[in-house]
Amino acid sequence: MEQGPLIESLLRHLINCPDDFLAAPRLGSQGVVEVAAVVSDLLRELGGEALNPEQASRFSGTFSAQQQNRLQVILIGCWLLHEPWFRQRANLARPARAWLTKGLDGLSEMVSAKKLISDPDRREELVRLCLNALALCPAGETEAQAQDRLSTLDSVERQRVMRASAAAEQKRQREIRERLEREEAERAVPKYTRE
Amino acid sequence: MPRAYRPYERTPLLTEDGRRLLQQLEEHPNKPQFNDHCGDFLTAAGLDQVRAFQRRLLGAAGGWLPGEKPAWLEAYAAELADKVPFFRSRASQPARFEDLPFTSRADLSRAPEAFVPDDLPLDDLIRFNTSGATGHPLTVVSHPVVASLHLPLIQTALEWRGARMQGGPGRVAMAMVCFQKTTITCASISAVLDQAGFVKVNLDPGDWKHPDDRARFLDACAPEVYSGDPLSFAELMRLPLTQRPKALISTSMALQPGFHQALEAHFNCPVIDLYSLNETGPVAAGVPGRQMILPHQLYVEIIDPQGNPCPPGVRGEVTLTGGFNPYVPLLRYRTGDWASLDFQGRQPLLVDLEGRLPVVFYTPQGQAVNNIDVTILLKPYALAQFNLHQAADGRLTLTYLPAGPVDEARLRHSLEILFGPQQALTIQQRAAPLDGGSKQLQYTTEMPL
Repeated sequence: MEQGPLIESLLRHLINCPDDFLAAPRLGSQGVVEVAAVVSDLLRELGGEALNPEQASRFSGTFSAQQQNRLQVILIGCWLLHEPWFRQRANLARPARAWLTKGLDGLSEMVSAKKLISDPDRREELVRLCLNALALCPAGETEAQAQDRLSTLDSVERQRVMRASAAAEQKRQREIRERLEREEAERAVPKYTRE
Repeated sequence: MPRAYRPYERTPLLTEDGRRLLQQLEEHPNKPQFNDHCGDFLTAAGLDQVRAFQRRLLGAAGGWLPGEKPAWLEAYAAELADKVPFFRSRASQPARFEDLPFTSRADLSRAPEAFVPDDLPLDDLIRFNTSGATGHPLTVVSHPVVASLHLPLIQTALEWRGARMQGGPGRVAMAMVCFQKTTITCASISAVLDQAGFVKVNLDPGDWKHPDDRARFLDACAPEVYSGDPLSFAELMRLPLTQRPKALISTSMALQPGFHQALEAHFNCPVIDLYSLNETGPVAAGVPGRQMILPHQLYVEIIDPQGNPCPPGVRGEVTLTGGFNPYVPLLRYRTGDWASLDFQGRQPLLVDLEGRLPVVFYTPQGQAVNNIDVTILLKPYALAQFNLHQAADGRLTLTYLPAGPVDEARLRHSLEILFGPQQALTIQQRAAPLDGGSKQLQYTTEMPL
C-alpha cells in the first residue's frame, strides 16, 4: 500500500464541507445538484476523464429516500476527494470512480449522509474507507494499524447497536398499541366540532 | 361494553355548580335520548397545560411571510427525525426542508404508534377512530389535554369575528348539532370553560320524544355557540328557536357562501367556517373562501402534483407541518384538500379550500372545466349540500339539498354558460340529505381522464 495523507488533514477537510455538497441531489423532479456532473468534474481534477453516459446513469434515477441518501453520501465523498493531496496525484481517477460508483452503497444504506459530517466516528470511517478504496495507507500508520482502526469503526458494530435500539423501539410501539386497545382509551372525551 | 365512569371520574374538576348543571341537562323534560356519558377527563395539571396553551395563543406572533418559513420549523423537523420512529426510520435526512419526503394519511393509518415521540408519557392515552368515508380509516392517538386544546383555538376563531364564548357556571357554552340517522349524543361540563356545559344532540326527530322538543331543549340550553355542519344548520334554521347564539361554527363539509349569508341573516350572528381535521384539529377559520391559519405551531405549504411548493395564489394540496397534538406530530402531511395561500402581512390564509383532488369536467366540445369554476359559479346559491356528477357519456347531474329558496332557472342558465347550451344537464332537488347525511364528495366523474 502506498503512503497516503494524514487522517487529521482529511477530517478537517470533511468538517468544512460546503453547503453546495450538502444540498439535495437531483432525482426526478426533486433536488438541485446534478451528481453526475459533480463526479465528472472531480474525475477530471484527479487526472481522469468525465463519466460516459452509461457511467453517469449510476448517479441519477427516480426519487426514493434510499436513492437520495446514497447520492448525498456520494456528494460528500466527492468533497473528500477534492482535498488537495488527492488532486496533486494523477493516478487516482479510476479507483475514485469505482469507489463513488459502488463503494459507498453499503454505508449509505445504514448511515444518513449528514452523520458523515456531524458524527466524529462516521467522519473517520468515511475517510478510512476512502483511503482503503484508493489502496492508500494513512500517513504515520502501518497497514495493520489502519486495518484495525477501520474494523473498529465498521458499521457491523453499529448494526448490532441499531438492532438493540430497534428492539426497544418495537417494545414501546407494542405498549402503545396495547394501551390504545384498553377500554380506558375509549373514554368519551367530547369533540367540540365535527371533522 | 365500555366501562361506565361516574361524573367525578369523567370530569375530575367538576364543582357543585357544574354537577347541578349536568343534572339539569341530563334530566331536562325535553332532553333528547342521550346515549352516552362524556367528560373532559381533565386533571388540575392538565388544566394548567391548557391555560398555558391559551396564554401562548394570546401572545403568539404566529404566521410567516411569503417565501419565508417560521423560525421554529427546522428545529422541529430535526427533533422529529430524532425522536419519532416513523421519521427516524427514513434513511435520508435532507438538509433542506423542501426536500423532506411527504407524509400521507395512509402512513398514519398503517401505524399510528410509530408517530408517538420517544419521550412522551403514555399515561391516559385516548383514541379517536374515524371511519375513513373520504380516505383511509384512522386511529388518532390523543390525550384528554389535547382534546381540550380545541377550545382555546375555537375561542380564537370566534374572537377573530368579534364573538366571545364566555362559559362560566350555569351556562351552556356550546351545543354541537348533528343531523343524521345515528350518532353519539351526550351532555358534559368543561373545566376549561369554567364549569359551563356542552351538549351534543342529533336533530333527527327520531332522537327525541317529540320533534318539538328539539327547539324547546335548545332554547332552554341557550348555548352561546352552536357548532355543526351545513346540513345540521339547515335543519337548525327550520326550528322555531327563540334564543339566538353569539356565533355558529361550521365544519366538516363545504359551506357555500350563499348559505353562509343566509345563516348569518337568520341567526343574526357571525358564522365561522372552520377547517378542522381529525388528524390535526382546527387548522384555519374565517368565512367561506378565506380562512386564516390559526396561530398555533402549524406551517402550511401548498404543493403541486409534482411535489413542488406553490407560490401564493397558485392552487395545490394543503400540506401541514406541526400541530398541537404531540402524539400525532406532522411533517409535510398531505391532507388531500386543495386551496391556495394568500397573506395579510404575516398572517397566512387559505383561499377557496376544497376537499379532495380537483375533478375535471368536459363540455360537449371536449373543453376542460375545473371544478373550482363550478364552485365559484355556485357561490350565490343557498345550497346546504350538492353533488355535480358527469356520466361517462358526458351528461351532467346536479343534485342538491336547498338551504333556502334556489332560483333553479338561473342556476341552470349559469351552468349552461359554463358548459355551453348543448350540455345535457339534469338538476335534481332533494328534500333529504344526500347519501344519508354523511360527508359527500361534491364533484364526481365517470369520464376518462
